[in-house]
Amino acid sequence: MTAILESISREIQGKGGPARRGLAAERLAGMLVVAALAILVAGTQGLMSPYVVNLIGQVATFGMLAIALDLIWGYAGILSLGHGLYFAIGGYLIAMHLVKVAYLQTGTPPDFMLFMGWDSLPFYYAGLENFPYALALIVLISGGVAFLFGLISFRSRVSGVYFSIITQALVFVAMLLFFRNDTGFGGNNGMTGFTTLLGWPIAAPETIAALSAASVLAAAASLYVCARIVRSRLGHMLVAIREDESRLRFLGFETLWIKIAAWVISAVIAAIAGMLYVPQVGIINPRVLSPELSIEIAVWVAIGGRGTLVGAFAGAILISTLKVVLTASAPELWPFILSLLVIFVVVLLPNGLLDAPAALRGWLEWRRQRAAS
Amino acid sequence: MKRWVLAMLRLSVFMAAGAGWLAAPARADGDARASIVDRLCTRETEARIAAVDELLAGVARKEIAADWGAAIIGAAGDASLKCGEGGVRVIAKSGRFRDPLTLADVSESSAKLAAPFVNLRVRAAYEMAGGLLLLITAPASPLAAKAADDLQKHAGIANLDALQMAVEAQPSPDLAGRLQAIAAFRALRHPDLERRIAAIGKLADDPTERNRTALLDLQGDKTAAGDPKVAAALAASIASIDRWLQFSRLMATVYSGLSYASILFMAALGLAVIFGLMGVINLAQGELIMVGAYTTYLVQEAIRAAAPGILDLYLLIAIPIAFCVTALVGVLMEITVIRHLYRRPLMTLLATWAISLLLINLVRVFFGTQNLEFVTPAFLSGGERIVGDFIVTYNRLFAIVFALGILIAALIILRRTKLGLFIRAVTENRDMAGCVGVSARRVDVLSFGIGSGLAGLAGLALSPIYTVNPNMGTNFIVDAFMIVVLGGVGSLIGTLIASVNIGMINVIIEPAYGAVAAKVIVLLLIIIFIQFRPEGLFAPKGRR
Repeated sequence: MTAILESISREIQGKGGPARRGLAAERLAGMLVVAALAILVAGTQGLMSPYVVNLIGQVATFGMLAIALDLIWGYAGILSLGHGLYFAIGGYLIAMHLVKVAYLQTGTPPDFMLFMGWDSLPFYYAGLENFPYALALIVLISGGVAFLFGLISFRSRVSGVYFSIITQALVFVAMLLFFRNDTGFGGNNGMTGFTTLLGWPIAAPETIAALSAASVLAAAASLYVCARIVRSRLGHMLVAIREDESRLRFLGFETLWIKIAAWVISAVIAAIAGMLYVPQVGIINPRVLSPELSIEIAVWVAIGGRGTLVGAFAGAILISTLKVVLTASAPELWPFILSLLVIFVVVLLPNGLLDAPAALRGWLEWRRQRAAS
Repeated sequence: MKRWVLAMLRLSVFMAAGAGWLAAPARADGDARASIVDRLCTRETEARIAAVDELLAGVARKEIAADWGAAIIGAAGDASLKCGEGGVRVIAKSGRFRDPLTLADVSESSAKLAAPFVNLRVRAAYEMAGGLLLLITAPASPLAAKAADDLQKHAGIANLDALQMAVEAQPSPDLAGRLQAIAAFRALRHPDLERRIAAIGKLADDPTERNRTALLDLQGDKTAAGDPKVAAALAASIASIDRWLQFSRLMATVYSGLSYASILFMAALGLAVIFGLMGVINLAQGELIMVGAYTTYLVQEAIRAAAPGILDLYLLIAIPIAFCVTALVGVLMEITVIRHLYRRPLMTLLATWAISLLLINLVRVFFGTQNLEFVTPAFLSGGERIVGDFIVTYNRLFAIVFALGILIAALIILRRTKLGLFIRAVTENRDMAGCVGVSARRVDVLSFGIGSGLAGLAGLALSPIYTVNPNMGTNFIVDAFMIVVLGGVGSLIGTLIASVNIGMINVIIEPAYGAVAAKVIVLLLIIIFIQFRPEGLFAPKGRR
């Protein structure tokens, strides 16, 4: 057993550095832009069923989430088990925008207002019918929350497993909070009943195609931005923090602001992913805040491979597509497949499925040697 | 009953010896019966009500047999007690004739018989007496609840002494409580001022929420509480009850906080030991708790099938089994997965999460998703009322005592055994311990097994209190992590203090602001706390 592991890890060690993979990310971003145009054409011309187009858009937002997490986990070595929080901030704010628009258009108050017996929307809905304002809020609030949380935890040097656990606790508490019905966010039923997005009917095939294309484009943009970041000076600093933060500090660098910068960028990307996701599924409820979803993001990244961006994106696409297919055909089987896959990848392939070819070579090598001796 | 047998004995002695004085009590009973039946046969309302009262007073003094009372009141109530000219009395019901004094069968009477008319007031008295006598003669009968309803309706005229007797005879605590309330209500409105004040004082001696309500009711009743002496006694009593109730509420909060803390402590102890030793956070700890609870369930079912006689002991029998099964699961986890991840602690989070997902779904497949039903052993049901409304329930006491036992066992293992020495050595400095010949790998496996076994015991201890289903682990895991963060790495005392704190904060905040707010506040407090002490309350003095 140990012999196999050793020859596998020898093989894996010999792979190219992050610089090469950064270029791969930019190439993938270019391909995604082309794909987005193709989806837009296919969706509006009726060449693809709206269901598939919609699914592609949703999966693309998951890909963005994985990229966001890879930036801080793969490069800076900070594992967040609570990135669902930022995803939910984007999702809830866009849902508030859509609910406000639907209320102004139809005059029918949303379900949660009727349920609570309120005769008007709470004050924090003011002005949200204005899309640019909603967009600005999404960026400001997700970035602001991330900045605050990053500041207080990185300042007191909370790191490693401790940090991960606290992010998980935070998202768990947020879920409990949003399950309450009196918060004005729809409670456990969540928010739904959206009508139009920027004046377009939300269920029309054209809107679906545009949203899906926008999601793929956004994924391409985040890939490109993150690829540029990791090849910049900031990216090298992040890798240095991952490898040995104390040494970087002793060399005179203030790691606090580097970490906070990466953390905030990651959070904003996650929030934009949430903003694109919610109009596509047509509902948001506190389950997006469940710790399981946040851990799943980390699973995508781990399975796809950390510190490559491309790997994380591929992992998200692969696992979430598999999940959609399998939860439809064999819902009881999916948790078993997922858990066994995670254990397999985590134990045998430290860098995820991108290591699979190298690991296979290592295994063949080991067999060859055993046959020879 | 004993009194009845005694009376029969005396009767037989009387018949044998012919000595009239020996039978005096029996004849007194007979006289009383005749007088009561005579008065029940009159048409006068007052006389009949007085007779009913006398009957109940006699029963309460145990001079009149309650069985007979029940029979005669029943007969008077359904108009089968017939009275004729010249003192002919007979109970005639569905073709059967009985003597109302002895209830023995008699031949059909030729006299002209009629049952006295039962008006509303008399009917109320009969219903009240009938209910009371039923509760005295057959307190466990299915009709008891109905009888208590009747009594409640006529609480204003109920006989206090007989009521007290019914309370004492009542086996069901629920019903006994209701009867007690009726008695208190009755006593509080007694026409005699002294007795009323005495009743108020008596209620104040037992400071419960129920008694407080009864006194407040009386205070609102201007006719009953109009007298200044009564009013003063009332005010003093209510104040005293309030003081005691506050104290008892405090005690109850502390108690439930302690019991929650003890569950948290058991859940977090294994987590803290493993984290201190290997830097591994076991996200499957909650599921190990679940495995412990399910093992306990299986033991219960096995005992139910094999030896139902000792079913009550299943919780004790399951202790070693639950420990061993979860320890085995933990050791398997360590050998197959965790061992390969020591240099990558963040990956252990994902790996242990995957294991927890696997365990949850395995349990779901084999047991279903419904809550398991546990038998509450006789020694864990009920509780001891200490003061006011503060009840020390045995199931929570079990959890507290159990956690204390685990604390002591863990202290002994860590401080007095070789394994404990090794665990502390590896926690402090893994490489150095290896240099002096401690096999860190073996210590890892063993302590992972022990830590998992502790989680299993936590599952066992909480199975009589909380619901047991495949998802139960997630409820405890976040709190358990917070304890590890707060308590510091691998510190037994830190874990203890942190769990007591978090358990207490939870139960103190929960009633005022709700469970969600409690969790939010605990998390915020911890985030603030780690600003000042990032290493936890009791950081070990070692380099890491």
